[in-house]
Amino acid sequence: MTNILLIAFAISLIYMGIANRLSTYINILAVQGIILFGVSFIELIQINTINLIFILFETIVFKTIAIPLFLNYVIKKNKIVREAEPFLPDFLSVVIITCIILGSFILSNIITGVHIQKMFFLVAISALLSGLFIIITRKKVVTHIMGYLVIENGVFILSLSTGNKMTMLVNTGITLDIFVSVLVLGVFVNRIGNTFEEMNVDNLTNLKD
Amino acid sequence: MPGLVFILIIITSFFFTGIVIRTKSIFSGRKGPGIFQPMKDIWRLLQKENVYSQTSSFIFKIAPDIYFASVLIAIMLIPFGTQKGIFSFDGDFVFFAYILAVGKFFSIIGALDTGNSFEGMGASREALYSFLAEPAFFILMGSLALLTGYTSFGDIFNGIHFGSYISYAIGTLASFVLILIAMIENSRMPVDDPKTHLELTMIHEVMVLDNSGFDLGLILHATNLKFAMYGAIIANLFLTPGREWYFSIPIFIGVQILFAVVVGTLESFIARFRMSHNPQFIFTITSISLLIFFAVLLILGKYF
Amino acid sequence: MFGYYLIIAFFVGIVSMLNRNRVVRILLLGLFLAIQTAITIYAYFHLNESNTIYFKFDALGVIFMCVLTLLSYTTIYHSFIYLQHRKDSSRSQSIYFAALIILIIVMTCAYLASHLGIMWVFIELTTLSVAVLIYHERTPLSLEATWKYVFICSIGITITFIGIILLSIAIQETEITNFSFKAIPDQLLHVSASWLKMIFLFMIVGFCTKMGLFPMHTAAIDAHTVAPPPISAFISTTLMNVGFISIFRTYSMFAHTSILPWMNMILFLCGLISIIVSAAYLLKVNHLKRMSAYSSIEHMGIAAIGIASGGIGYFAAIFHMILHSLVKASVFYQIDQFHRNFRTYMINETGNYFKRNLPGAMVFLLLLIAITAMPPSGLFVTEFWIFKALFTSGHFFILVLALFFLSIAMYSLAKNFLYILFNQTKNLLPAEEKPNPTETYSQYILLALVVYLGINPPAGMINLIKDAVINLP
Repeated sequence: MTNILLIAFAISLIYMGIANRLSTYINILAVQGIILFGVSFIELIQINTINLIFILFETIVFKTIAIPLFLNYVIKKNKIVREAEPFLPDFLSVVIITCIILGSFILSNIITGVHIQKMFFLVAISALLSGLFIIITRKKVVTHIMGYLVIENGVFILSLSTGNKMTMLVNTGITLDIFVSVLVLGVFVNRIGNTFEEMNVDNLTNLKD
Repeated sequence: MPGLVFILIIITSFFFTGIVIRTKSIFSGRKGPGIFQPMKDIWRLLQKENVYSQTSSFIFKIAPDIYFASVLIAIMLIPFGTQKGIFSFDGDFVFFAYILAVGKFFSIIGALDTGNSFEGMGASREALYSFLAEPAFFILMGSLALLTGYTSFGDIFNGIHFGSYISYAIGTLASFVLILIAMIENSRMPVDDPKTHLELTMIHEVMVLDNSGFDLGLILHATNLKFAMYGAIIANLFLTPGREWYFSIPIFIGVQILFAVVVGTLESFIARFRMSHNPQFIFTITSISLLIFFAVLLILGKYF
Repeated sequence: MFGYYLIIAFFVGIVSMLNRNRVVRILLLGLFLAIQTAITIYAYFHLNESNTIYFKFDALGVIFMCVLTLLSYTTIYHSFIYLQHRKDSSRSQSIYFAALIILIIVMTCAYLASHLGIMWVFIELTTLSVAVLIYHERTPLSLEATWKYVFICSIGITITFIGIILLSIAIQETEITNFSFKAIPDQLLHVSASWLKMIFLFMIVGFCTKMGLFPMHTAAIDAHTVAPPPISAFISTTLMNVGFISIFRTYSMFAHTSILPWMNMILFLCGLISIIVSAAYLLKVNHLKRMSAYSSIEHMGIAAIGIASGGIGYFAAIFHMILHSLVKASVFYQIDQFHRNFRTYMINETGNYFKRNLPGAMVFLLLLIAITAMPPSGLFVTEFWIFKALFTSGHFFILVLALFFLSIAMYSLAKNFLYILFNQTKNLLPAEEKPNPTETYSQYILLALVVYLGINPPAGMINLIKDAVINLP
């Protein structure tokens, strides 16, 4: 079952490549939150209850409900254009994300000698690289944050793959996740929205040589 | 009885489009025509005489017949649960894909033969989209072949039922991809709109502008047959092995009806893409089937 | 002891955030400096004693802690001058100093952490606390730089976290999983080389954001440009030392595995490309603070090459980082005075600094000698050792390239500094206020220290550095 959820996660990454509305991105992030909820529920059912509740709370309340709502609020409040405005054509985005998945697959097979669930590794590395790719190729500050959230989701999947031995690690990662996301999202996005007319990286190119 | 599935597919094709149209009309709040109405239209066309343009050659005359025949041959390869199709040999899914491609090739050069610029445009789009959708089908069949260890339709669908949840999970994903492939191959909604009335935005419809009468009837019915054919492949993923025909046939018909309803629903709720968005959409399907391929590799533990 | 330090120092930080009275603020800062000095001295005399599970007074940490404590004095002093001239409100001054105190505390913790996870957490905290300081001027430019800094550092730290997870996967098959720097190397002996390489790559990319090495050097540059000059001094020295320590500890962790040559190659690459990039930008840069920032990146590249060349290179790299901290901090302190004199950082809008402010100009001239590593400067000694290590390890090609690009960087630095000092072609507006020579004393002291440490390094320091590199091959 976990495998199917992880494949669904990877499909959501591909879909992110062709999505051209910000609302679609937000929906994808919410769906990813639900998928992470499913995966963590299946994988971590054996750990103690408080940790489990903490992790499930993080995935459902934070990733699936709070962040999408907040992003919607930011987009409405700052009157951001609804298109994602990538620098690349969508077709190329899909091709590149497919190549990323292919590359992660090859990487997961080259690396040997360590016992790891390869499916987790594959999806986590794909999410990391796709998130970086989205950050690089999209124009808006909001899409940068979305790319960052995709990276965080990848990290979450990878930390799940350490299994129930390493609950401390998972919790640390989650705490960081919440901390940084709240800070970055809450403080800076609104500040940037208030300071500049449009939340575009074009406005953030004054510092150069 | 090897011919059973052939007969079933032919029967399904009679009402398939009707269900799609009925679903769409219900969703849009109309009563809609009866489910055999498309078949009656086709029957009316089949009784009519062909009209040929003076500029077209014999290619234009034989193209619809070859197109229709190719679809029929492809249908003969489809198995029915544990029963093999009329033909079955190793690697027959490659033959399946290419016999359809032959049909498509003829319909494309038939369209080019008319010398109509609109038809040439439609033909080029059709060629591009089939070209993009082809890897998706092959990778998907490849992963199924890898999962089972066989290379013919009959054996693959025989072997896929090892009862674990993986086969059903892969089956669900595979049917998702197959539905999308069927939508593209039959020029349906997100990619093409059969109801469009502007030549510039047409893909498949613009190719058959010059066909009339009997030929047009054949082409229209070939679409129905293709839908039923893909429905049969999807149904095969869920047919339970070792059951009698009185189980299998209701499952088959049920899956076909469900497929038709899904197509109708999709068409009601999805807007048509801009023409420039089509290639990436079709490539997405290839990516998804590639993912399924990797998943099968990882689940089976077969690495290189 | 360290626990008490943390509690009291954090308490001082919080009180100074709430406080609005100038006298109380000075008292609180004095108290904080006293605590910081006390813990430093305590640490020096209780070397290698583990106070808590997660912190340890090891040689490497204590060296940089001493540098941090020394620079805290000067930075707080120059921050006072800076804030006084900006006439900031009492509230924003409180926030500034509270963030500065927290920054110093978390940097101390990051130096002394003996546990990988703890180090990682405190490195993340340095990003957050320094972000408040970078954003101090509240302009669109500072917002842009802060955003970029926080965003890139967050991505970097996330990538490092992936490395840590992979490390935990690698060592979870051993009996006890222990993330302290002492225990990790033994657990890594059975892990395959390809997996180790991947872990190293992820961790190093993340830590490069802090040290300002090649793949992630861009964030630090922008942060330097807009931060208040005393804070730029911190970013460029102690904060980069945090990155250096993390990279050095990671390197020592893997140093006894089979991937050592490969690791050296990666560090050579990072270091060399950092030097090349900084030399290229130095040729066209026109903003004095950006110029200093690029010069920092060049020195980080030299330090990375020093680690990679091994042998005496380890020793020299640490020594280089210490001396560079002293020199670069004085550069930024002087830039603050320079900025108040000219009201701009643009090099081509200034000139004839010798006439306008003789003590400051002398500082610039001496700094030019120090930073380009000309003989009386201690940096000359360390760079000489690093190149000697390169030579003995047989990396002639890297040596030639590094020397070539270093001379380009030297030329550009000299050109720009001399333009500032002597160019008389422009009719510039007179300075609004008379420059105050007492502001330059700290720089003279630091420069004298650089020369002294280079010529006659005290035995205590030598022993500390030797102790820090003792476990390396």
